[in-house]
Amino acid sequence: MISYTDIFGKNKRVEEMELYVGAGDVNEQLARYGVKFGIYKNNEFKEQLFPFDMIPRVIDSKEFGYLEKGLKQRVTALNLFIEDIYGEKRIVKDGIVPEEFIYAGSGYLSQCEGIRPPKGIYSHISGIDLVQGKDGEWYILEDNLRIPSGASYPMIAREISRRSAPDLFTGKHIEDNRNYAQLLRKTMDHVNVGGHTVILTPGRYNAAYFEHSYLAEKTGAHLVSGSELIVENDHLYFIDYSGRKERVGAVYRRISDEYLDPMNFNRESVIGIPHIFDIYRKGNVALINAPGNGVADDKGIYYFVPKMISYYLGEEPILSNAPTYLPYYEEDMKYVMEHFDDLVLKDVAEAGGYGVVFGNKMTAEEKAKFKEMLKAEPRRFIAQEIIDFLDIDILEKGELLPRKADLRAFVLMAEEPMVWKSGLTRFSRNPDSFIVNSSQGGGFKDTWVLSQ
Amino acid sequence: MGIISVENTDRLYWLGRYTERVYSTIKIFEARFDSMIDVDDEEYVAFCESQDIPNVYKSKEDFSRRYCFSLEDENSIFSNLMRAYDNAIVIREEIGSDTLSYIQLAVYAMNQAAISKAPLIGLQKVTDNIAAFWGMADDAIDESSIRNMIRVGKLVERIDLYARLKEPSEKIRREARRLANRIDKSTMRYSPKTLAHVNYLVQLDELPYETLIESVEKLVGDRM
Repeated sequence: MISYTDIFGKNKRVEEMELYVGAGDVNEQLARYGVKFGIYKNNEFKEQLFPFDMIPRVIDSKEFGYLEKGLKQRVTALNLFIEDIYGEKRIVKDGIVPEEFIYAGSGYLSQCEGIRPPKGIYSHISGIDLVQGKDGEWYILEDNLRIPSGASYPMIAREISRRSAPDLFTGKHIEDNRNYAQLLRKTMDHVNVGGHTVILTPGRYNAAYFEHSYLAEKTGAHLVSGSELIVENDHLYFIDYSGRKERVGAVYRRISDEYLDPMNFNRESVIGIPHIFDIYRKGNVALINAPGNGVADDKGIYYFVPKMISYYLGEEPILSNAPTYLPYYEEDMKYVMEHFDDLVLKDVAEAGGYGVVFGNKMTAEEKAKFKEMLKAEPRRFIAQEIIDFLDIDILEKGELLPRKADLRAFVLMAEEPMVWKSGLTRFSRNPDSFIVNSSQGGGFKDTWVLSQ
Repeated sequence: MGIISVENTDRLYWLGRYTERVYSTIKIFEARFDSMIDVDDEEYVAFCESQDIPNVYKSKEDFSRRYCFSLEDENSIFSNLMRAYDNAIVIREEIGSDTLSYIQLAVYAMNQAAISKAPLIGLQKVTDNIAAFWGMADDAIDESSIRNMIRVGKLVERIDLYARLKEPSEKIRREARRLANRIDKSTMRYSPKTLAHVNYLVQLDELPYETLIESVEKLVGDRM
């Protein structure tokens, strides 16, 4: 375990950090570049700056090597799982994962049955959320295999921080995280079936629009909306200003499965591309990430990931899950009822920090009501031990304050899995909260991985 | 040239038009404001007429505040700046983050100017950022057609604005010449017939301002 004090020295850490702030005010610079995310409040769209804390999370080379190994193992198994579910379903037939957890989840898409995407890759970009316990142990909190966002923030924060406080980076041997665009480009090119590579955005009123446009700029891919693409003669085309049609071979789509193709999914989608799924099925375009991945990142399926690793790879999981209980199993239900106050309960259908409740924060009446709901819908919830997160310091008004933080690591899949040597560290700005999501007011830090 | 959609060519053109509109109207406002200090309280009335803006303002103070800074006033300078921003924010990959950042900075400067006790000094920062945006666009955007789409928008807006203000014909002729030089380089779709008509109009001794405005508005885009 390494702390930033090891890097900066214990005595002058605050002074040095304040110098860093004063040197160029990184947040002002981030505002200049429009580093924002959108949220809807009372049906109104608002753009907010994503608060950046200049004290980085520091991970040493050895520790990151261990994370890297574990993350590659996990994402490889998850890819094999998705392939299996939409193919032979061996893991269900062999009784490792109960079928209710596959077919009852909203992430499973029957339309994907029998489809093998280009190069057999399903989760091209995986965002794996981890926390570090006070014992130094890392735990996986969540797998995000649909449209994980967030890589652009530490990328641009690093760029600006290096300009604001160059001395801080001198002689520290920090892996350069600005190569994310190259990794992403390599990932997209690897599966491109011929033609342009585009990033498909739902538009500027999407929460992650900054990221869409920034990644397009940095990868050299074209940022497009659904209305600029058309399926014709079993291929996908971009229509340029003169009406000319240019073939598209890979689409990094930042639109959820549901809205991707009104002919195959939600008929009311106006941001999707009619018939894109049909030509994807024929292998005429690569969709990044593959539709139907939700079957593997459901909070209920999370419980089974260590079992998947053993099943597909014949290996022991390197990284641990947070201790999790499935009320679906009688034994686990009993445990959850008996230890209700020590657990955090998560609705498997929710995301973004929503649908998360802590047993010890409920009134007696709320508890009774929740327990009834749990008995009625045991498949809907998972329960987890509350991990005593390692606090990370943030700098606020000249003071160092401890806050809960997680780490979103990014794994990109081309010929082989590649773990980006950085990650998005999100922290809670509220001292009493464990919820770090940006949509709930959290901030972010850069993640420094040391090269030696 | 890389692939570019018809929507994005349209956005580049309007980005040029709105940045010019903001820049020029701030300059005009500065002159009017100076006169309103101690010469003519009602100077703004004539300005609204020339710009085809309904005079909804109660006084010179009301005009100075709302025309510059109110986002509820669709004719305000700030509303036009937000239109420039709305066009710019969706073409980051065409113009680049560094170029785009000057539009973002102009928006921040406008917000600051709105609460400043010296709004004219605040507005100067807005024009500084727009000028920097144009310079950066010229310098940093590799694709000449993209640079020229922004320039065509600027020149069309300038001719339109000068005609509304009934500026001398020589001044307008100069902009029309620059437009004729640029428009083919932009690879935008435009009406050569209308361009010829604009060039004819600006040569006339008695410049028919209304006809010129009508013509230049039809040069590119939907109304072509």
